[in-house]
Amino acid sequence: MLFFLFIAAVLVAVAVQAVRNISHSVADSDWVNHTHAVILETEAVRSALLAADGLLHTYVLTGDARDLGACREALSEASENMDIAKALTRFEPDQNRQLVEIESMANRRADFVQGVLAARKSGTMASVREMMAADAGGTAIRDIQRKIDKLKNDELALLTARDTAAYRQAQATSWTVWTGVALDVLLLAGAAWLVRDDLAARRRAASALQEANAQLEARVQERTADLGSANARLSTENLERRWANHALEHQLRYNHLIIDSISDLVLVLTAALNISRVNPAVVRLTGLEPAELVNQPLSRVARLAAGPDGADAPLRDPIAQSLKDGRELQRQAAVVEDKRGRQTRALLSLVPLRDQDRVVGCVVTLQILTPQSSTAPAEKNP
Amino acid sequence: MKKHILVVDDEESIRELLSIYLVGASYSVTAVASLDAALDAVRQEPPDLIISDLQLEGADGLQTIARLRNAVPDTPVILLTGVLFDPKAVNEVLMSKVTCYLPKTCSLAQIMDTVRRLTQAPRA
Repeated sequence: MLFFLFIAAVLVAVAVQAVRNISHSVADSDWVNHTHAVILETEAVRSALLAADGLLHTYVLTGDARDLGACREALSEASENMDIAKALTRFEPDQNRQLVEIESMANRRADFVQGVLAARKSGTMASVREMMAADAGGTAIRDIQRKIDKLKNDELALLTARDTAAYRQAQATSWTVWTGVALDVLLLAGAAWLVRDDLAARRRAASALQEANAQLEARVQERTADLGSANARLSTENLERRWANHALEHQLRYNHLIIDSISDLVLVLTAALNISRVNPAVVRLTGLEPAELVNQPLSRVARLAAGPDGADAPLRDPIAQSLKDGRELQRQAAVVEDKRGRQTRALLSLVPLRDQDRVVGCVVTLQILTPQSSTAPAEKNP
Repeated sequence: MKKHILVVDDEESIRELLSIYLVGASYSVTAVASLDAALDAVRQEPPDLIISDLQLEGADGLQTIARLRNAVPDTPVILLTGVLFDPKAVNEVLMSKVTCYLPKTCSLAQIMDTVRRLTQAPRA
């Protein structure tokens, strides 16, 4: 912006300088015309005086009135031309002084001519011859012409000086304009170069921005794809979890269904031989609810059958020993007692529950013996 | 053209999960709960694969599969069940009745592998 303001300032300066030079040229031209006018008017004075002098001689010889009128008219023209020349040089004291001198000499010459004319008109030829003889050398006219020549030479010298000044002014104007034009061309070339450089920089910036946008877009698309993949993976994992949970629930429910459908009594015992879980067959036979059985000893509902002497054998020790040894008990004669104390004969089996080779409890099944049952108790485990 | 899979299971949650999973893998799925609905579906649009449970309400799964195979004998059948069979029993008994046996405890990815294998394989 400052650059273009500077260019505009140079243009304005050149224009102002050119206008000033043109004004000076116009003024110089006026002065040249003025000088020519002064020279012309001065020459006209000379011509009129010479014409008046010639017509004077003619009138003296012929006495013709027309020559008299023409002579007086020539004198009048000389006076008018002198007045014009004086007006033209009113601001030029030197030229004006010279013209006053010429005018004084011209007036004296006019007085002489008027005197000769008056003498010739009155017919006193002797007087006329005497006056003409006194002017035989034409000294007065030559003096006037010398004065006019000097004035003319002065004016021509001025004209030459003014022509020189006008030429220099024109040269200065030309130099000013061309220098200004050259400077502006250089400045405009510089501005064009700067604009080109700026445009190139803008194009580079736009290209870089476009590239950055493209990279950003690519990253966004890549990220979107990643998110889409992650979302799909999460959805799949979620479905897998739901499927696995459902399969486990189904399997658990199915296992419970199987256990709950067994007609034999099934009791799960902890390592301390307390009941932790029973199947519905236990509830049906004993009349005890699961809440009444959980955390109770197995002897709350069952014990081994009486020995050969008829006494009931304690259940705790064989079962505890079996758990300690990690071995099964198979089909041991046992008695199940319900809530009201009624007893039912059964066969007891025990399987230890192992978790990573560690016995954490056992499962006891009691198969109820009916009077028609032919199942015989197994031999005592070793 | 999307492959058409018929899912027969009396549990709605199983049908829903399998449908979502298979549709997400660009399969066309028809899920029904009973033998009659399965036969209707087979008549309307013969499937490229049948996935059936073993225990259906009011019908035995193997009987259902036999009825369906009568309708579309060349269509492979996956038996997908929560009833765990002994591997030996599977080979000796089930494989003559179904194309493939999968327990419900297997993952969906395993199911998808089997589905892809059977839907891409040429029909017997």
